[in-house]
Amino acid sequence: MNKAEIYKKLNEIFREVFDDENIEVNANTTSADIEDWDSLEHINLIVAVENEFGIKFNMGEVTTMKNVGEMVEIISQRIS
Amino acid sequence: MILTSFTFIIFCIVSLLIYFIIPKKWQWIALLGSSLFFLFYKNFNIGTLVHILVAFGAAYFSAIFIDEYAHQKQAKWFLIEGILFILGQLMLLKYLNLFQNFLMSPIGISYYSLIMISYIVDVYRGLCKPQKNPLKCALFMFYFPILTSGPFIRYPDLENKIYAKHKFNYDNLCRGLIRIVWGLFKILVISQRLAIFVNNIYQNYLTYTGLYLIITCLFFTLQLYTNFSGSIDIIMGISKIMGIDLPENFRSPFFSKTITELWRNWHITLGAWLKDYIFYPLMKSNFIQKIGAKTKKIVNKKVSKKVTLYISLLIMWILIGAWHGIESKFIIGSGILQFIYMFLEDLLSPITKKVCKKLKINYNSLGYRIYQCIRTYLLFSFSMIFFRAASIPNALSIIKNIFIFKKGFLTNIFSLGLNKANFVVLIISVIVLFIVEYRQLKGDVTESLLKQNVVIRWTILYLLIFAVLIFGMYGPGYDETIFIYQQF
Repeated sequence: MNKAEIYKKLNEIFREVFDDENIEVNANTTSADIEDWDSLEHINLIVAVENEFGIKFNMGEVTTMKNVGEMVEIISQRIS
Repeated sequence: MILTSFTFIIFCIVSLLIYFIIPKKWQWIALLGSSLFFLFYKNFNIGTLVHILVAFGAAYFSAIFIDEYAHQKQAKWFLIEGILFILGQLMLLKYLNLFQNFLMSPIGISYYSLIMISYIVDVYRGLCKPQKNPLKCALFMFYFPILTSGPFIRYPDLENKIYAKHKFNYDNLCRGLIRIVWGLFKILVISQRLAIFVNNIYQNYLTYTGLYLIITCLFFTLQLYTNFSGSIDIIMGISKIMGIDLPENFRSPFFSKTITELWRNWHITLGAWLKDYIFYPLMKSNFIQKIGAKTKKIVNKKVSKKVTLYISLLIMWILIGAWHGIESKFIIGSGILQFIYMFLEDLLSPITKKVCKKLKINYNSLGYRIYQCIRTYLLFSFSMIFFRAASIPNALSIIKNIFIFKKGFLTNIFSLGLNKANFVVLIISVIVLFIVEYRQLKGDVTESLLKQNVVIRWTILYLLIFAVLIFGMYGPGYDETIFIYQQF
């Protein structure tokens, strides 16, 4: 799976988790760009991403991830 | 060693002098020496030494083995073993009191135990490398300023500061001293004054009813805050002088509009610790995820999210209560009741907004915001009755008596330890406190004070020092043992 496909899948997950069909994520998207992205939704998002890609983030990554770009980097490393 | 005692002042002066006089490469060793002296002061015996060595050894070696077996199954086992060892020693000594006849709990056991856990978990999570030098590792875990009342420090945040070489810096000295004097003002002028009144009533709680009890409950919240945050100010000030910045533990909590907001601004580092090491892993756990999946099937996604949130929050709040003490009064007062408040706030928030709209109340207006802050203070003060009372039955009896109003309006209020003059000092001091706290919301008050011209800067500082010296509650009747958060 290339990065463009990861972004496409992530977009669907974000829309599902945050109940917003207008979300468009890119590498620089952060919690400040999505209204409901608080610490609680962050965990829901992480779990949804883990289930979709069949990977596991460690808690260090969960708490230090700065933007969607970093998330995509980790996902692409894990699934390759 | 008590933070406002003469012994502590001498200890700090000597420690700071040594710290800045010796060659810089030995500074961290001097700091370790001071920390160990503080740790074992008046509590040195073989039992305590063995106990501390066991806890330290568990954390030190777990971190090294976790790193050694990084990304392998064994790392998880070393993590679990480390956590169990650290929690085990904490439970045995502090909560179960198994060795109470011959072994005193070391000072700061609740603080350094959680700091040790965060250290090994951070190594496991790959957030930092373990400190292989056991003496440097010991300095991080037993850094003396944090042993009395926190704040909870994290190794990745502190490793570059605590072992670094620090030049004496006049600016740091000024900032540190301002913080220390402000802390002393909070403790000696406000908290100790309130303590006299509060202790008097709590010791004879059956004698008082109505307004007396209401005032006492409101006073205790303020006493607790000025006591705890004042201690933190002193700790931060001392550390600042050495050039080591510690994380803030309070952010003007009494200007919070809800209990949820109040807890974001009160004991911040404990909240952050619990979020990172309990709440997140719990929310991510199979147990919570399974509950979420089941409720999603039965009801809907929105409700399922709330259910998992509430279950995790309840578990976390019970743990916060238990950290204060295993007695049910702590678990209820600083645990379950706080959860109930937050649960109700979350549940009632949409209804309140609707009611406000119908009644045409502007919930962004200053008046409504003040009402929210007062409501939060009252709710918090109510929960603190359980925290302060000797037991749950005592707390319930106080709550029952609050609603009994006898004839006569506070007729002997000035005969309960604080005369009229003391009340005047108290009221003025509390007004000053609230002005500073409000100003703090807009930016660091110390910074603005340092930016003022020399005359204003020194006048304010001298006024504060004189206020502490003249109005501080020491001398006969002063009980320096009332350091509420030192007992945890």
